[in-house]
Order: sequence, then C-alpha cells, then structure tokens
Amino acid sequence: MAMRERDEVAKIVRDAGGQIVGRTRIQKVVYLLELTGQVNGFDFNFEYRHYGPYSEALSDAIHAADAFGLITEEERTAQWGGRYSIYKASEELERLIENDRVRFIKEAAAIDPVILEIAATAAYLYAVENFSDPWGETQRRKPEKATPERLDRAKKAYQKLLGLKTPQPLPAIA
Amino acid sequence: MPTNPKPQRIRDPLHNLIEFDSSQLEGTLWKVIQTRPFQRLRRIRQLGFSELVFPGATHTRFAHSVGAYHIARRLIQIIKRYLLSNGIQLQDHQEKVALTAALVHDVGHGMFSHAFEDVGKKLKLKMAEHEHVSDYLIRNGEISDILTRSLGSGFANDVANVIGCGRPGNLYDAVVSSQFDADRLDYMQRDRLMTGVQNSGIDFNWLINNLEVGGFKIGNDEQESGSIETFVISNKAIYAAETYILALFHLYPTIYYHKTTRGAEKIFSEIMMRLINLVRDDSIDKTALPINHPIICFAKNPDDIEKVLTLDDTVFWGALPMLIEADDPLINKFSNWLWTRKLPKCIDIKQKITDGIGANRGSSQKEIEACKKKIERVTISVKESIEELLNTIKSNSLMDTIPRLLVDQADRHPYKSFQESKGPLNQINIRQGEKILDMAEASQVVAGLKPFSLFRAYYDADDTDIKKQLDQIIEEKLRSE
Repeated sequence: MAMRERDEVAKIVRDAGGQIVGRTRIQKVVYLLELTGQVNGFDFNFEYRHYGPYSEALSDAIHAADAFGLITEEERTAQWGGRYSIYKASEELERLIENDRVRFIKEAAAIDPVILEIAATAAYLYAVENFSDPWGETQRRKPEKATPERLDRAKKAYQKLLGLKTPQPLPAIA
Repeated sequence: MPTNPKPQRIRDPLHNLIEFDSSQLEGTLWKVIQTRPFQRLRRIRQLGFSELVFPGATHTRFAHSVGAYHIARRLIQIIKRYLLSNGIQLQDHQEKVALTAALVHDVGHGMFSHAFEDVGKKLKLKMAEHEHVSDYLIRNGEISDILTRSLGSGFANDVANVIGCGRPGNLYDAVVSSQFDADRLDYMQRDRLMTGVQNSGIDFNWLINNLEVGGFKIGNDEQESGSIETFVISNKAIYAAETYILALFHLYPTIYYHKTTRGAEKIFSEIMMRLINLVRDDSIDKTALPINHPIICFAKNPDDIEKVLTLDDTVFWGALPMLIEADDPLINKFSNWLWTRKLPKCIDIKQKITDGIGANRGSSQKEIEACKKKIERVTISVKESIEELLNTIKSNSLMDTIPRLLVDQADRHPYKSFQESKGPLNQINIRQGEKILDMAEASQVVAGLKPFSLFRAYYDADDTDIKKQLDQIIEEKLRSE
C-alpha cells in the first residue's frame, strides 16, 4: 500500500523517541527535515505564519495519523496558562533503527520550542524569502520573542543541527 | 494657502451616516476612495454568487470597506482611552496606519473574490490573489501617491505591511487583522442584513462598550515566552462574546458555504481555468470572446496590473452571453448553467458519512470521541478513493472534456483556540476578576465548538453513472469501518 503523509508523520514521532511535545515543535521539526531533504517523497508546502514556518498539509496529516491510530494526541495545560499537545507514536509501528535522520529528529525535537521557532524562522527567511541577514529579520518580525539572549541560544542550537549529517545541508547561517 | 478638505458623508444601510471630517487623515482617505482601484470595488460584490440564493445580497466590497473603516475608528477610540488613562503615549502614526489599512484592506479583490483566487492558485497566477494585488496597489500608483503626498514617504509601505502581514503584531494591528477586527465586525452584520437571514445577529454596541485593553501571557507549547497587551472583553459581555462567535459559526453553513453558492463558484472557476488555458494554447477562437475582451487580455498578460484592474464581476456577467456560444464544450455548457441558474446536482458526502456512522452516537465521552474519529477516518478514505477515481477518469479522457465530478472541500473553525491560531493578539479574551482568559477557556459553549467542515461533490444531473460510482465508494468505506 502506498505510503501516505500520515504514515510519515507517525514515523517522525517514533523517530523522535516515541513522542514530540507541542504543535510548534512538531511543525518546526518537520520543516527542518524537509529543508534538509529528509521527508520521504512529500512536499508539505510550508508557508510563513505567526509562529514561523507552518504547513496546513502537515496539520491535516497529524489529524489523519491520530484518526487512524498511528499516533495519539494528548492535550495538557501549561504552567503559563495555555494549552499544548503531546504526540505519542503507536506501539504498533515497527521498531526504531538509529540512523542519521533519527539523530537529527531527536536533536531538533529536544530544543526549547521558542528557540526552535526562532531558528526555524531564520532558516525559512534565508531559504525562501532570500534575506541575507535572516537573524536580523527574525528579530525585526518577532521583537518580543527574539531577544538577544534567545537569538544567541537559537544560533547555537542551529549550529548543532548544522553539524549533523543530512542529505541536503541546512543553510549555513550560523 | 491650502484649505482644509470639505467634510463628506456616506449613507450606509448598516451604519447609517459615515462621516469623513476635515482632518488631514480623513480628507486624505476621502481622496483614496475616489481613486480608480477603490472605485472598482463598487463592481465587486461582497458575497459573489450568494445573490443566486439570497437575491438581496448584492452589496459590494466598496460599501464593506467604508463600513470596516467606520468600525475601525470606534476600535481605535478604545485603544486611545486606555492609553490616556494609563498615562501611555498615543501612537499617532500606528493609529493612522491602522485606520488606512482598514479602509483599503480589500482593494485587491478580484471578480468573485475567493473563486477567482482559487483559479489563481491552480494556475499559479500571482495577480489573481488579492493579497498580492492589494500589496501592489497600496505601494504603487494612485493610492500610494495620495498617501505619500499627505502623510509622508513610507506611510503607504507601512499600511501594506500591516495588511500583508495577515496577523496582528501589535494592538493597533489587531484592529485590522484579528478574530475581533473591524473587517469581521462589519461583514458579519452587513452580510446578515443584506441576505435577510434572521440568525447570526450580534450585540455590537454592548460588545464595543465592554471592550478594554489588558495584559496577557503568551507561550509556545509548554514554554512561556512573555506577555503582551491586547483587546479584552469585560465579564459583563461574556454572553455577547459567545453570541458573536456562534453567529460566525452559523454564517458559514447558512451563507458562505451554501451548497448552491459553492456550486456556482466551482462552475465559475472551471470556466475561467478553461478560458485561460485556451488563451495560453492560442485557441482564443474557441472561447467566443473578442481578442480585446478584458478576460482575454488578462489571460495574455496575467502579471499586468492594468489588465487586473479591468476585471470585475460585471465583466464576467457581461461575457456570459458570448460564452454560451463558445465552441469549447466546457465553456458552452457551464456558461449556460450559470446564465440560466440551472446548476449541477450536489452530493453532501460529509453528511452521508455522518449519517452512516451516527454523529455523537455513544453514551460516554469516550464513545463519542471514537465515533468522531471513525467519521474522520471514513472521510479521509473516501477522499483518497475519489482522488483515485478522478485520476482514472482523467487518464482515460481527452484534454477538452468536461469534468464529471467537481469536489468541494473546506473547513472553518468559528473560533481558533490559541495554539492553533495566528498568535495571541488574534484571540478573543475575557476579563474574569484579575484573570484574563482566552474565550475557549472562559466559555464551555465556545470550548465545545468543532470546525464546520464541508465535503461535497457536484455532478451533472444526467450523469447517473458517476453518482452511482460515488455512492458505491461511500458505502464501501462505511462498511469497512
């Protein structure tokens, strides 16, 4: 049977170690995977939104994966008052094999969501909107969020991802 | 010595008198209204083909734009009152930018608005998307010249940035783009009034009277990321806020997603796509339109703003008597359907699936949730099978055949909770004592709302074979659950 977007999403959650915390995080992880040529055969068509790169098709695929029991979505209340989701992979999925893609997913999914949003936004602004100073543009667009301290952390996190082996390199912006 | 502009007035069916005083800003905006791009909005109906269902719905984007500006002025007064009472300096520039943006936010809309955008997306025509056209028209040409002369260089770009952004970046932007913005506050009331539907009313004055500004925490997933100031509704208007959200929830199935309107939009899109493709293939003679017709000129030069500005609803309606004579079978047939309002049959696939499984069937919340997931699974499976069927039909047909099935799918959430929306300033917030809560937290009714989702297919009433195939797919998928 043909592999569908929902199967790919479930594999990504599995490869993250069985779970990914947060809608922002799963969107940015998949964006960085797509940017580095690590999404198998699909184009999620990411576009720029308030939280940086976002894909409606990915959001649909996550819902479909949940409906078909490939992943489960649990909603929790955060300490700051908002709500967030935890995505867990079904135990029926085949076992995880450690490889370059898995290492990349685990590294990206472990990044703080605010930092990951800043890093993924800078990558998007460079790769899609051709900004020569994507970090500066990120700061301009997200003045409250992209503080100097967070920008510094985002660049360091991005550098770590840059050091990992990927089919296509991440843009060398850090 | 320059004299102050003369005050102006517009009579409006919704707001009654809309006045433009002799201040520099309002005098300038009156001049913007007189420009060719803005006057074009008189020939673009706010609700496109809805008039085929609601004969009174002939109101235009022109009237709506002026109405949105009128409401934006009231929202700005609330911001001013808050800033003054808290000893915070007024942001005069941001205020003017937000008001101007509210007036010109729709200036780029093409004929039949979203139906034409659908054509643009499919054929990758940048200038069929209203955001691009609005952006261009505000930064260049007549509107930009007037704004620059009166309000300074860079002003027009700031207005375009606020509209192009599509999500609020500060409190003033929320006047232009949020779940409680001037645009929505106008169109919800205007569309209800002009269609004549009696549900979906809102308690507008009470809502505005109870609108304040307050601080609100924000975050990403589990992590707090700071706080911002935004519009907050006092607790006294919580039911008015609930009604507002429910009103929007009802407007979608009642008006915007009406099956006949959507069917006409689908037919229009198919005609336009075929027209543009025939022009691209150098087969203008099959369209029955003269070579200097605005649609033909646009199809030849889709990036030329002058050609874009010649298109409006009246141009299409005026073309129909010629299009019904076209040699091309699709243009001929579909134009006749629109001309005589003999539209294709509709199958409500979502309804069939929901009826087949039974929405909300079950005695516990767990069972109801399982039922919803079942509906979602069948819907996805049916969609995939229809795609396969359409691919098979396509591969067995010639280029100029008429599509036998037109699939329509859309979702609309009446209120997007914080995690899914365009950012914290896009939310509706309620003050409850010292706390400020997102509407989805403060109201069980709002928390319980699910997106309105449509999944329909249109077919020629004479083509019973395709209907049979579609029914078989649905039955088969329902059985497999």
